[in-house]
Amino acid sequence: MTKVSARTQHEITGLLEEWSGGNQAALDKLYPLVYEELRRLARSYMKREPKGHTLQTTALINEAYVRMVEQKSVHWQNRSHFFAISAQIMRRILVDHARRYLHLKRGGGAKKVSLDQAMIVAREKSEEVLMLDEALENLARLDPRRCQVVELRYFAGLDNKEIAAVLKISENTVMRDWNLARAWLHQQLAGAG
Amino acid sequence: MHGFINNLPEQVDVTPERWEQVSRIFKSAIDLDVDARDAYLARECGQDELLRKEVSRLIESHQRASDDNFIGTPAFVSSDPGGKTFANGQQVGSYEIIRHLGSGGMGEVYLANDKRLDRQVALKILSGELAHDKRRLQRFQQEARMASSLNQPNILTIFEFDEVDSFNFLATEYIDGETLRDQLRGKPLRLGEVLDISIQVVAALDAAHEAKIVHRDIKPENIMIRRRDQIVKVLDFGLAKASEVSSVTHATDSEIATQYKTAAGTILGTVNYMSPEQAQGLRLDARTDLWSVGVMIYEMVAGEAPFTGRTTSHTIVQILENDPAPLSKAAKVRIPDELERIVNKSLTKSVDERYQTAKDLLVDLRKLKKQVDLDVEIKRSLAPLRSDVTAATPTAAVVPLPGPKSSINRNRILLLIGGVVVVLIAALWAINSLRPKNQNNPASVSTSPASPQRTLTYSITVQKYRYNKPFETPFQLGKEMIFELDYQIRLNINSAQAGFLYVLNEGPSDKGQPGEFVVLFPSSTSNSGSALVSENHPVQIPDKSWIHFDNEKGTERLWLVFAENAVRELEPIRTFASPKTAGLITDTAVRDEVQAFLRSHSNDKPLVEQDLDRKQTIVSSRRDLLVHAIDLEHQ
Repeated sequence: MTKVSARTQHEITGLLEEWSGGNQAALDKLYPLVYEELRRLARSYMKREPKGHTLQTTALINEAYVRMVEQKSVHWQNRSHFFAISAQIMRRILVDHARRYLHLKRGGGAKKVSLDQAMIVAREKSEEVLMLDEALENLARLDPRRCQVVELRYFAGLDNKEIAAVLKISENTVMRDWNLARAWLHQQLAGAG
Repeated sequence: MHGFINNLPEQVDVTPERWEQVSRIFKSAIDLDVDARDAYLARECGQDELLRKEVSRLIESHQRASDDNFIGTPAFVSSDPGGKTFANGQQVGSYEIIRHLGSGGMGEVYLANDKRLDRQVALKILSGELAHDKRRLQRFQQEARMASSLNQPNILTIFEFDEVDSFNFLATEYIDGETLRDQLRGKPLRLGEVLDISIQVVAALDAAHEAKIVHRDIKPENIMIRRRDQIVKVLDFGLAKASEVSSVTHATDSEIATQYKTAAGTILGTVNYMSPEQAQGLRLDARTDLWSVGVMIYEMVAGEAPFTGRTTSHTIVQILENDPAPLSKAAKVRIPDELERIVNKSLTKSVDERYQTAKDLLVDLRKLKKQVDLDVEIKRSLAPLRSDVTAATPTAAVVPLPGPKSSINRNRILLLIGGVVVVLIAALWAINSLRPKNQNNPASVSTSPASPQRTLTYSITVQKYRYNKPFETPFQLGKEMIFELDYQIRLNINSAQAGFLYVLNEGPSDKGQPGEFVVLFPSSTSNSGSALVSENHPVQIPDKSWIHFDNEKGTERLWLVFAENAVRELEPIRTFASPKTAGLITDTAVRDEVQAFLRSHSNDKPLVEQDLDRKQTIVSSRRDLLVHAIDLEHQ
């Protein structure tokens, strides 16, 4: 496991800058670092938090951001980039967990879930998450921006205003994109189900 | 067939042009009602029947998705998917849940209605060990109650502790506002805001410390700022102590340290405000809170916390061993040297060299605030004249920076009631020019054995307008402020005694001609047109309306006259208090008499006290006639 703590904030900030500058290779390096940190944070949070407590993903991402990125030198755009990448990562984490959870449930025998697996999406959401993930793949091919709106809202928990800031579009556009994407996804899932 | 794509995967490769077409028609169509929509679709799709069907199906899905709240709530990470939280509308004892407000340090917080008293409260559900440990719960309750009972305006009031269905919760006053954390979000605050907030926080701590209560967890998350009036409330007194360790009585110092550190290792970013003694698990006293205040002030000014590290342990090392970057360097704007000194003194690692009491810190902060306000005032009055008054101007609390930032346009303005609103910028200079000579000793008012015979308390409510519509919640005017386009005000007056109240607006004199007078009170719509008001019966001026400015220039004066008996010279103005003339005194004879009366009494200045906490001004006089003027000045 890559230890994020071994990396400096400086490096991560640098990677964000490079990525903002269009260097895709920087994203490849950044992704696993942020991934590990988000997972680690979520796990430690779960250990501390009492049962019944709900953690919003935005809070988690904010926290990761504060921890990982040098606040002094970072540009505002980097924050947007950080949120964009974190939304993707949260999607992956949540999908992985939903998959494992459903597998455990169906496989029977595994009534106890370990702490790691305790970080799962809500029971009733697990199926929704998996199906949505698939449909989003299709949407991404058709319309990457609207896919991102859904990702930011559903997986990263951002509100319209925050999404507008990340994607640099107006709140109205976010709302319209959301309406369209959601209708399309609903149609997909209704068809699949 | 369900959708136009899902059953035919190859159609996912629908051309971008087609998709654009579908989405363009869709987004306009969903805003239309059914008939208009059909017509619109027919027009837009023309012969392309397939296109019309695709869009229609998508619209259907849109409606169904809205009805089902499809993917409407984000996929939360949840530790216990079956965990019990309250739903909107749910009854919890005598409370009805209105909505979830957030998740605080020790559990979830809901906005609820207390049905017994029909008032809104914040319900904080206590969770974790604290909720299940009777002794700790009791200790927390005791200390929290004690803090609340101090009745300090900056300490959150606790109404009650209760237990329903094994949920322990406390009901507190509901503060509609944001936490300081929300306000900070990586950006520094203006100096005036920093001082206003920290003065109130330290005032709360001063009261608590006097009562031997140490907060131990001062951080931006625990500071609420009320939207309406920017009043600051410190939350969660007693909570940190009660939730620190599981068995305090048996824990040795090193155990406390270990446990705190263990907990801190998983707490998200909250070790930043810990004092060195706290980080080491040493015995704590009130001075730990003063350190935390220092950290907060630093963060408010610099936009970033003084001690940060990649991990909790790194942060703790910073706290124990390193000095933060000097505030003057970390701040984006120039800051007073005194502020840096105050922060440095709060952030002294040795407790004995730090501020020793909240009171000492409070005195220094208040002194600095006074100095900053004065600097702003001087700066403003000396600033070069400029004809362009539309430039955005910082509010008075901003630190004076070099360069011509703001200026006073010494032209005169006219204040009208119900007039067309074209004001650009106006500044309010409440009472400055009329403060009595002994203003430095306001205590003489309250300690005087002979109570004043006439006392008026007033506040000024400001309502922002945008595009002729009220914008944001009205708020009380504190000291002076810059008015922007469409700001409107009203006066709230309370008289301590029954008597006759007259409120007039004197416009600026025009080329040597006396200014116009406008009657604000009494009016035909309020108080039945009578000047007689009863004791402690608040009146709002103007009644059900606001004072607008127009773009005439100059100094406006609001006259308050309060007398035991009806004032012969002022009684005639009541005839002009009609909405038709907007209160304008059109009879020159009456106007001259009013002016003569006010001039002859304007030297008998009443005592003026300002209650900055309540944003009120108290005017008192030992005569049975009280005449007071409030100046409003264009800038």
